Amino acid sequence: MKRHLRPGLAAIIMFACILGNRTLEADPVLHVLVQLPLLGVCGALLAPRREWCWAQGGFAPLLAALFGIAFWMLPRSIDGAVTFPVMTAAKFLSVPLIGMLLAIGWRQAHALLRGFLKAQTVSMAGFMAFLFTHSPVRLCNNYLIDDQWRLGFGFLFLAIGLAMVWTIPLLFNARPRASPRTRAEPMTHVQSGVPA
Amino acid sequence: MMDNNSAQRLPGPQAGAVKFTMLLAGVVLLLMMVFGFVMRAAQGDLLDLDPAMFYQLLTAHGAGMVGTAGLTGAAILWYFMGRYVPLARGVFWAFLGLFLLGVVLILGAIFIGGYAGAWTFLFPLPANSGGVWGADAAAAFLLGYVAIGVAFLLLYLEVGRKLIAAYGGIGGALAWPLVMGKGTVEDAPPPAVVAAMATTIFNTIGTVVGAAVLASSLVNLYFPEFKVDALLAKNMIYFFGHVFINASIYMAVIAVYEIIPEYTGTPWKTSRVFAGAWSLVLLFVMAVYPHHLLQDTVMPAWSLAMGQIVSYLSGIPLLAVTAFSLIVYLRKANAMRWDLASALLVLGVAGWSVGSVPAIIDGMISVNKVMHNTQWVPGHFHIYLILGEVAMAFGFMMWLIGKPEHKAIGGFNWAVFSAYVLGGAGFTLMFLISGALSVPRRWAVHAPEWVLQSQIATGFALLVILGAAMFVLRYLLGLKHSAGR
Amino acid sequence: MQALLASLLVVVAGGGLLWQATDGGQALTAESARRLAVQRAPQPVSPFALETMSGASAAIPDARGKVALVEFIYTTCPTLCQSAGADMFRLGNRVREAGLADRVTLMSVSFDPEFDTVERMQSYGERHDADGALWTIARPRPDVLPQILSDFGVIAIPDRMGGYTHNVAVHVVTADGRLAAIHDTGDFEGIIAAARKALR
Ligand code: HEM
Repeated sequence: MKRHLRPGLAAIIMFACILGNRTLEADPVLHVLVQLPLLGVCGALLAPRREWCWAQGGFAPLLAALFGIAFWMLPRSIDGAVTFPVMTAAKFLSVPLIGMLLAIGWRQAHALLRGFLKAQTVSMAGFMAFLFTHSPVRLCNNYLIDDQWRLGFGFLFLAIGLAMVWTIPLLFNARPRASPRTRAEPMTHVQSGVPA
Repeated sequence: MMDNNSAQRLPGPQAGAVKFTMLLAGVVLLLMMVFGFVMRAAQGDLLDLDPAMFYQLLTAHGAGMVGTAGLTGAAILWYFMGRYVPLARGVFWAFLGLFLLGVVLILGAIFIGGYAGAWTFLFPLPANSGGVWGADAAAAFLLGYVAIGVAFLLLYLEVGRKLIAAYGGIGGALAWPLVMGKGTVEDAPPPAVVAAMATTIFNTIGTVVGAAVLASSLVNLYFPEFKVDALLAKNMIYFFGHVFINASIYMAVIAVYEIIPEYTGTPWKTSRVFAGAWSLVLLFVMAVYPHHLLQDTVMPAWSLAMGQIVSYLSGIPLLAVTAFSLIVYLRKANAMRWDLASALLVLGVAGWSVGSVPAIIDGMISVNKVMHNTQWVPGHFHIYLILGEVAMAFGFMMWLIGKPEHKAIGGFNWAVFSAYVLGGAGFTLMFLISGALSVPRRWAVHAPEWVLQSQIATGFALLVILGAAMFVLRYLLGLKHSAGR
Repeated sequence: MQALLASLLVVVAGGGLLWQATDGGQALTAESARRLAVQRAPQPVSPFALETMSGASAAIPDARGKVALVEFIYTTCPTLCQSAGADMFRLGNRVREAGLADRVTLMSVSFDPEFDTVERMQSYGERHDADGALWTIARPRPDVLPQILSDFGVIAIPDRMGGYTHNVAVHVVTADGRLAAIHDTGDFEGIIAAARKALR
C-alpha cells in the first residue's frame, strides 16, 4: 500500500471503532476479535519506519506489546472497558500503541524470534479458546455465557486460521531444489511483515 | 547427493556441544535407571520405600526419561542436520540452557516441593494434591515443562526454516516430488532430512498444543475459578506426550540413516516407498494418540475408532521406514562391519519394531479395556525405549568416540552388549507378563502374589544398568582419549 | 546494550502493570476483583428503602441494627435465581443453627421492581419457603435501582430470552451500611463467618 495513504486509513479505522464502540463492545466476539485487532492495525499503520537502537532485535518493543496484549486478555480488563469510561479511554489509547510497538519490533526481529512468536500466538489463541469454551463460570459480568462460548470458538478459528496462513506457504516453496550442501538462504522472504 | 565417505570424517557442526550433551544425557539416563531400579525393587519388597517417595521417583523417572530421550534425539538431529544446512550455533546453546533450566525446575519441584503428580500432570492432580505438595511445586514442575518446550521450539524453528529454505519448502524436504512420481531418487533429499523435516513438523505442533494445556493448568493452579475441562485437557496432554516421545525415537533414527552407511560403504537413498511412508508417519503419529484414551468412555466413538484403526495402520509405515528399509538396505550392501556402535543402532531399530507389537495389541479397544492400567503398558514402552531409543542414543555415543577403523565387536564389548540386551528383554518381558496377569501399573506397593515377578524384574534391571554404566564409562574414556589426541 | 536495558525495563514495568491489574495476581475477573476489593476494605452503600413480599417496608442497612445478607434476583428467573433461592433457604437454616437468627436478616432484592409485584414476590417466596421473618423477598423503588446496582457492583444484562443474566452472590451489609463481604450463595461457612465478623 502506498505509504501516504496510511495515516488516512488509520484515521478511518479509528473513527469507525469509536463511532461503533457501543455496537462492537456489546458483543464480546466483535469486541475482542474485531475491534481490538483493528485498533492494533491502526497503530501499526502509523508506526514510524525507523530503527532505534533501544529496539534492536525487536525485543523491547515486542515484549512491551506482549505485556499490553496480556493485559487486554484479562477478562477483568475487557469487563472494565465496558463498565468504566476510564478503561474505555485506555483501550482507545493503549491498543493502537500496542499495534505500533508490534510493528516496530517485528521489523527488527530475527526470523527465529518471529517464528517463536507465531507459534506462541497460535498456542495462546488455543489456550484462550480452551478457557472460554470450557469455563463453567461466566468470566465477564457484562457478557452472557453463550457469548463467552462463542468467543472461545472465535479464538479456536483464529488459532486454526493463523496456523494455516503461516504454514501453508511453507509447504510448496517454489524454489528449485538446491543440492543439499549449498548454503541455505534465510527464509525471511517467506514471511511478510504483518505483525502477529 | 551427499558423499558418505567424506561425511565420515566431517564432524557435525558443534561436535563439542553435541558430545557434551550426550555425556549429560548418559549420566542422567543412568541416574533415572537407578530410580527405576529402586521402584521395581520396592514393588518386589526388596527394600522399604515410603510410598510418597515412590511417587516422587515415578514422577522424576517419567519426566526425566522422556526429557532425556528427547534431549538425545535432539542432539542427534542437530548433529546430522549440520551436515546439510548451516545451523546457527547459538540456537543449540540456547536449547541446552533452556533445557537445563527446565530440568532444575522439575527436580526442584519434585525433590524440594514434593510434587508427585506423575509426568503426565493430568488435570486436576497438580492442583489437588491433598496437601502432599503446594501449588508452587506444581507450578515449578509445569514451568519446567514450559522451559523445555520453548527449548525444543527454538531448535525446531531453526532446523525447520533452514531445511525449508534449502529443499524447496516442506514438501521438498519430505521428498513429495518423488512420492508423486515427479522427481528422481538422485534429486531427493537424503533419508535423514526427510526424517528431520517430519519430526520437526509434528513435534512443533505437539509443543504448541502442549504449551496451551500447560498455560491452562498453570492458570488453574492459582485461579481455581478458571476450571479446566478434564477430558479436553487429557486429550491435549496425551497428544503432546505421545507426540513428544515418538519424536524422540524418530529423531534418534536419524543416527541409523547417517551412521550405518559408514559400515556398509553403500549410500542409503530415499526411495519412493520410504518417502511416502514418512509422510504417513507424520499424519499417523498425530492421529493415533486417542489410543491412550480408550478407557474414557465419554470420548466420541469415532475418535476411539480412529485411534484403534490408526494404531493398526501405523505399524505399517513404521515397519516400512525402519525395519523393512533397514533390511532392504543391509541386503543391498555388500558387507556390514559390526562394532558396538553399529550393533546398538541396529538393536535400536529391532527393539523399536518389536516394541510396536504389544503397543498395537494394547491399541485394540477390547484388549485395552482390561490391559490399559496394567504393567502391560510400561512393558511395551520400555521395550522401544530401553531397546529402541536409548539403544540408538548409546549407539550414537559409541560412534562419536569411535576410531575410523571401527574395532570389531568381541570379548568384553560383546558381553556388555549382551548384558544390556538380555537385561532389557527380561525386564520388559516381566512387565508384559505382570500386565497380562493384571498387575496394575503405578502402584507403590504390590500384593504378595506379584512380588516374585517384581523381584525377577529387579534382577534384569540390574543387568540393564550394568550394561548402560559400561556404555557411559566407555564414552567418557573415549572422550578423554579423543581430547588427548 | 541499550536494547537489553530497554527490555529489562519493559519486563519490570510490564510485570508491575500485570501485578497491579490483577491485584497482585489474585483476581483475573471483574467478579473476583469486586469481592477482593470489598474484603480488603468494606465499602459504604447508600441506604435505600424496600417493599417486602408482605407489603411491609424495610431498609438496607437494617433499621433494627441487624446484619443484612443480601442477594439480587428477579422472580421469573428460570435458572440461577432458583438455585440461589434454594441456597438462601439453606443459609437461613444455617443462620438459625449458628444462633444468629435474631441478629441477622436475609433479603432477596429484586432488580426488576416494575415487573416483580408484591404478588409475584409472594409466590416466589412461597416456592422457596421464605418465612417472611428471617428471610424475605423485597423490591426497591425503580428510580434508585441504578444507584443500588452500582454500589453493589451487580450487572444484569438481558439474556435475549426475555430474562437477565447477572452475577449471583450473597452480600454482607453491616448495620452501619457498609458492604463487608461478597460470597458465593453456596459458601455457607464463608457467609456465616463474615456475618459474625460484621456483628463484632
Ligand atoms: C533400567 C532401566 C529402567 C527401569 C528399571 C525402569 C523402571 C520403571 C518402573 C519400575 C516404572 C513404574 C512401573 C509402574 O507403573 O508400576 C517405570 C515407569 C516408566 N518408565 Fe522406566 N525404567 C527403566 C528405563 C526407562 C527408560 C529408558 C525410559 C525412557 C526413555 C523409561 C520411561 C518410563 C516412563 C515414561 C514410565 C511411566 C511413568 C509413569 O507411569 O508416570 N524407563 N520405569
